[in-house]
Amino acid sequence: MSDIAIKVSQPVALQARLNEDWLAVVIGLLVFGLALVSISGTDLLGWAVTTSVYTDLSQALSPFAKAYAWLGGGGALLATYAALLVVLSAGVVTLGGDARKFALAFTAVFAIAYASWIAGSYAYVAAVTPAEQQKFGLAWSLKLTNEGGFIVALLSGLVIANFFPRVADWLKEAIRPELYIKIAIVILGATVAVTAAGRLNLASSLLLRGAAAIVEAYLIYWAVIYFIARKWFGFSREWSVPLASGISICGVAAAIATGGAIRARPAVPILVSSLVVVFAVVEVLILPFLAQTFLWHEPLVAGAWIGLAIKTDGAAVAGGGITESLIMAKAAAEGVKYQPGWILATTTTVKIFIDIFIGIWAFILGYIWTNHIDKGPDKAKPAEIWQRFPKFILGFILVFAISLWLALGSTPQIAKALPAAAGEANVFRVIFFVLTFFSIGVLSDFRKLWQQGFGKLAAVYFVSLFGFVIWVGLLISWLFFSGFKPPLAS
Amino acid sequence: MSQSDLRNEMDAAEVEPLLPIEKKLIGWSLGLGIGLLVVLIAVNHFVPIKL
Repeated sequence: MSDIAIKVSQPVALQARLNEDWLAVVIGLLVFGLALVSISGTDLLGWAVTTSVYTDLSQALSPFAKAYAWLGGGGALLATYAALLVVLSAGVVTLGGDARKFALAFTAVFAIAYASWIAGSYAYVAAVTPAEQQKFGLAWSLKLTNEGGFIVALLSGLVIANFFPRVADWLKEAIRPELYIKIAIVILGATVAVTAAGRLNLASSLLLRGAAAIVEAYLIYWAVIYFIARKWFGFSREWSVPLASGISICGVAAAIATGGAIRARPAVPILVSSLVVVFAVVEVLILPFLAQTFLWHEPLVAGAWIGLAIKTDGAAVAGGGITESLIMAKAAAEGVKYQPGWILATTTTVKIFIDIFIGIWAFILGYIWTNHIDKGPDKAKPAEIWQRFPKFILGFILVFAISLWLALGSTPQIAKALPAAAGEANVFRVIFFVLTFFSIGVLSDFRKLWQQGFGKLAAVYFVSLFGFVIWVGLLISWLFFSGFKPPLAS
Repeated sequence: MSQSDLRNEMDAAEVEPLLPIEKKLIGWSLGLGIGLLVVLIAVNHFVPIKL
């Protein structure tokens, strides 16, 4: 499901992960709640920093709301940093972390991650359409959109992980991609609801098709990869279960949940998780560009494919964001302007549907193992389904439901003001995405993994991912989504 | 347990044959998965995405 700092010496602390889930819900709801206040006319988050495509750096940053223009770009950046520092430090303390260490590390993480985001908004990197190029007086540009900043953040993290390991170690207190992406997903509920309210038929169709993702991940991917690991590569059951779960379902949380369910030693799913994160990074660097090249005329197929192929929440949802930007840019260059949000909503829907069943799958495996394979007094209990349920999804559902009700069931004035409030919350969603990308990069020490000799595990991952998961995911996405396009922007 | 221990253990581990219950799990998962996908594809055909 998601991505965490991986050290073998760390115990698998289920309690801590649950707390992190709830913390994500609290912070996500706080951002959403404060953004909603703007509907009443009092803007509490308008100082949040946004970045525009630029050629003159002094024009890059600005506060979200004009009412806070007096802050200037630098002031908005500082205010955003200070607010995140206070809220996240308080949150980390509730998780048992060291607030001082976190504050120092977070300062560096925020500085590098946001600098990467700003670099990605440079017009030579981000400008997409001929009109934009003309506006900035450019003869060429990489056409990555300003969300190319995610790739820059990821690469920055990779450089630190692989060339400056001591810096990576110093940053680790604030390298929390799992927390960042869960907060982002809770906030994303508002944007998805606003998007869905505009096209309820299409949105409900997406939900129906999310069921296919569950079947594919749990019943088809898992069974085939478990077979490959056991039969072709000779792995034991203890290794094969977390490996199959990590590759097929949803990365770290699935590996840890199912590893715990079959009573595997804690180090086993943790090591599998490190592999999942590394492969997710490789996928994020490749798949969105493949989607732009080969699937730009089928945007929803591309969105579903990314959700099915990339195996961590952070990388998948963020990969969906990049894919949306790249495809919208390519379509815009061809004269087609899609409404934003639909490709990312498709990726998120697919991913969330897959996440929901982790607890149930862990219980099924736990039941089989404790009753038929490793028989003993320690039987799997139904309560484990709730214990392993990813709680941040409740936050997403709550934000989605409230936003949808405000959009469809309240007064026209509120419905009219809601998109702006959701947009304000979305500023923080983007910042948490950037932090996630950078953190994933910092966790991906390719050399260390190679030196530790986990080539055989990587071989299972490589064979499964590139020989099976990606192509079956593409086929299923094509079967369910081909021929249907996002609405055109009005 | 250190990572080098795990690496040595992986290298030295004897192959565990697939138990009948594992074969059942794989077979039922695949069978049910393919069956459900066929049903969902049919649903997708008769209830197409509405814009």
